[in-house]
Amino acid sequence: MISLRHGRVTLALHPLREGTGRALLCLHAVGGSAHDFREVARLWSGPVFALDFSGHGDSSPLRGGGYFPENLAGDADAALARIGPALLVGAGVGAYVALLLAGGRPDAVPAALLLPGAGLEGGGPAPDPAADTISRWEDLGAPLAGCDPAVRRLERDLRPPEYAEAFARAAGRLLLAEGDFPQPPWWKAVRATPTATPVPGDLVSGLARLATLSID
Amino acid sequence: MSEPHYPGAVAPERSRFFASDGVRLRVDAWGDPSAGPVVLLHGAFDHGRGFDLLAPLLATRFHVLSLTSRGHGDSEWVDSYAWQNDVADAVNLLRSLGRPAHLVGHSRGGGQATDAALWAPECVRRLVNIDGFGPPPEGFSPPGVPLDPRPPPLRFRDYLDRRRRAGERAWRPYPRLEDLVERRRAQNPRLSREWLRYFLFHGAREVEGGWIWKTDPEFAGGFGPWRPEWIGPGWRRLRVPMLAMVGTEPDSWRLDEAVASQRLAFVPELTRAAVAGAGHFVHMEQPRETADVLLGFLEP
Repeated sequence: MISLRHGRVTLALHPLREGTGRALLCLHAVGGSAHDFREVARLWSGPVFALDFSGHGDSSPLRGGGYFPENLAGDADAALARIGPALLVGAGVGAYVALLLAGGRPDAVPAALLLPGAGLEGGGPAPDPAADTISRWEDLGAPLAGCDPAVRRLERDLRPPEYAEAFARAAGRLLLAEGDFPQPPWWKAVRATPTATPVPGDLVSGLARLATLSID
Repeated sequence: MSEPHYPGAVAPERSRFFASDGVRLRVDAWGDPSAGPVVLLHGAFDHGRGFDLLAPLLATRFHVLSLTSRGHGDSEWVDSYAWQNDVADAVNLLRSLGRPAHLVGHSRGGGQATDAALWAPECVRRLVNIDGFGPPPEGFSPPGVPLDPRPPPLRFRDYLDRRRRAGERAWRPYPRLEDLVERRRAQNPRLSREWLRYFLFHGAREVEGGWIWKTDPEFAGGFGPWRPEWIGPGWRRLRVPMLAMVGTEPDSWRLDEAVASQRLAFVPELTRAAVAGAGHFVHMEQPRETADVLLGFLEP
């Protein structure tokens, strides 16, 4: 495990596989951890890394509970600073974070595979004043094993489709898993951009497509 | 250096720390603790002692509590700042009082007070928002700093670059408190040097090599999809009366009246007040007049 000091938090970056060729950085869903990607190690020929986001796995929690995807993207960017350019695989909130990074750092992230998982939807496309109450803010749901309870706020942040679309348009290549799961508005907006390609929803097929992408 | 004095400024009668979500926040208080409570929320980069002029004037009738938000003044720094955490902190303080309170906020604190009244209407009697009606539609930039028109992904790259340097960032010390006064005065020329010397003495600390701001340098470095046009429509659901207060003088920190009116049109029970001779910092520039308007609006 590589311990990354990032601002005031310490992040756990797990090398899952050594190798040559394109590096892969895996970003887990809400309540997940790097362990969710153990299978990836035997499906990829290059080096594989998986990050524990703040408040998850072996990474430190965020003092004050200010969890939001852009902040998690900063975590993943700290991993990129360490390992260099990489392809991203993200599940749930990790998929949304992968989109933000692919759009924000297209030079470091030539492509990303977006998979469903916890925190994929977020809190909807626009504010819903009827639902905005202190009890909604406090009601975090069941605590997730091994996580800061406040990470469940990563299921509540607003994700406007046009915001997601702007990141998709700035990105290199995005592979979006197909499957029987509810597609939030941001996902549909990303799926409609020219940089996005639908791929079969299973990890094996998704990684196979990612491996065959022609990337400069 | 000894504590400066300023005419009319009264130090809090009591100060304590209050834990919200595990974060230590400073609460300053004036007046009879058994009187009806009034909670005050300050603006961005300010702190709770900015109410040292207004609070004693309200304390003639109320128990006045000023909350210093996370990352500001003597309140604790956190690892990541988000608007909703501050709103929740305000609600947590309100709930700890055991009875509904009047809620007053300035600038960013005014917007957060409004959200706190929406989140927990059972805790709020009446709401006062002092020039806290959000940034202009095109976004906000401090005086002299041009707006950034680039699309979100390009601005996001700057955010990521900032985050990469986060551990290294610290305020540079200014040799004298007077230098902080001049720095702040360049931003807020309507505030007198004498007042700023008093206000910044409590908003800065003396270190080796001079004075540094107490505000967390990481505060306000956030990034998200939030948009100014989201302000307003949600206010339709306010269940408490709101007093919207502004100063009459031009001030680059003050929201354009047409935009403010458009947003305030959503408030079901609205009273408006304009204080003569004040810009954005109404309660600091004209504390007596501000207190008179507030005492007229806030039921005993």
